[in-house]
Amino acid sequence: MTPEAGVAASLEARVWAALAEINDPEMPVNLVDLGLIYGLEVGEGTVRLRLTFTAMGCPASDMIVSDIRERLLAEPGVGEVVIEVVWDPPWSSARLTPGGREALQDWGLSV
Amino acid sequence: MEPANPGTFEALLKRGELIESASEMTPDYLRELKHTLIVSGDTELISAPAYYLAAKKAPSVNAFMTGIAIIQDELAHAHIAFHILEELGESQEALIFKRDPKAFRYPYAFDVPLETWTELVVANAMYDQAGFCLLGDIHEQCSYGPWKRGLVKVMAEENFHLRNGRNWSKRISQAGGAAKEELQRAVDWMFPLTVEWFGLPDNLKQHSAQLDYRLKGLTNDQLRQQWLSTVVPFMESIGIQVPAHKENGSYALDYPFPCTFDAGEKRWDFKDPCTWDDVLARWRARGPRNAEMVALFQESFSKFQVRT
Repeated sequence: MTPEAGVAASLEARVWAALAEINDPEMPVNLVDLGLIYGLEVGEGTVRLRLTFTAMGCPASDMIVSDIRERLLAEPGVGEVVIEVVWDPPWSSARLTPGGREALQDWGLSV
Repeated sequence: MEPANPGTFEALLKRGELIESASEMTPDYLRELKHTLIVSGDTELISAPAYYLAAKKAPSVNAFMTGIAIIQDELAHAHIAFHILEELGESQEALIFKRDPKAFRYPYAFDVPLETWTELVVANAMYDQAGFCLLGDIHEQCSYGPWKRGLVKVMAEENFHLRNGRNWSKRISQAGGAAKEELQRAVDWMFPLTVEWFGLPDNLKQHSAQLDYRLKGLTNDQLRQQWLSTVVPFMESIGIQVPAHKENGSYALDYPFPCTFDAGEKRWDFKDPCTWDDVLARWRARGPRNAEMVALFQESFSKFQVRT
């Protein structure tokens, strides 16, 4: 994407693209393809997102939250990131995108 | 088992092909492979009780879960090595539960107690980085197929441990004050222990069967340099001092290597150089936690064994 096109793209689209750059700390798949982002609202420089984890005892939860915060705050136009961790509906492998499924299968996980 | 024909074996090795079963190996190769696997399995296994003492000091429930997950990973990595050893004719039970504590072959560093969360995250940043260098080399170069393939997931998990170490080290350094001083003290004693982790310098090591057999690809000094090239810039980037600097494209230590270490005080004496014979004697005698950590898993094994 050229810089001009980047500025023109809606903030919401850029936020989704930024989230897709963040890999899960334990597996070679990004957070969007893993299906962890349940919802996104963008307005007035504030990003509100609903996030889940693959397990309640996810040992990487702190890392994921801080990775999201750090990456989104680096995005022009984002001044605040509010993350709500949700558990309903529980995450399952059905939430993987086709790309996420392929990445995990390539890595040796049967999903 | 019929010993492999040395001629066929050498040809296979020379062509860069993978050895897939004991029937293809010479007795010498099998012995060297087993030795390398034991060092790897012992290192992963003992890191569990070593890390657990400090993980109990985690500053939050989330941090504790991360610490425990890392310990679970280490046990799984140990399992890979011991499982392969069993396939090669060794008894896991004898190796893990019946060996004398002093016969374990893990790095001396783990014998010195990790007593705080700060020391645990420095171990994640430096000890796991050493493991990453050593296992990464085996993963890339190892001529024994089952081990090479078993390491794919291990590398990803070691990366997670490293991230925990680096994220927390950075956070503790940013906190400043007494927290940063504690971090610096941990690095002061743990840095030289990890430098010696890679073993004798190349000029004192005349011959390496591990290299001849492509069980690993890099020499001790090459691996040590690889470790220094990641740890030194990282520690400097978070404002922590380390006794090494870059000179003519490689890293040089700012202290005599080797020198004496007081394990009880967790203190190096940079004014008291010693010989490698002294270091090897310290390693053979093992350090403060050796017997206690091995007893942790051996005692329960004999207690709950069903006798027929």
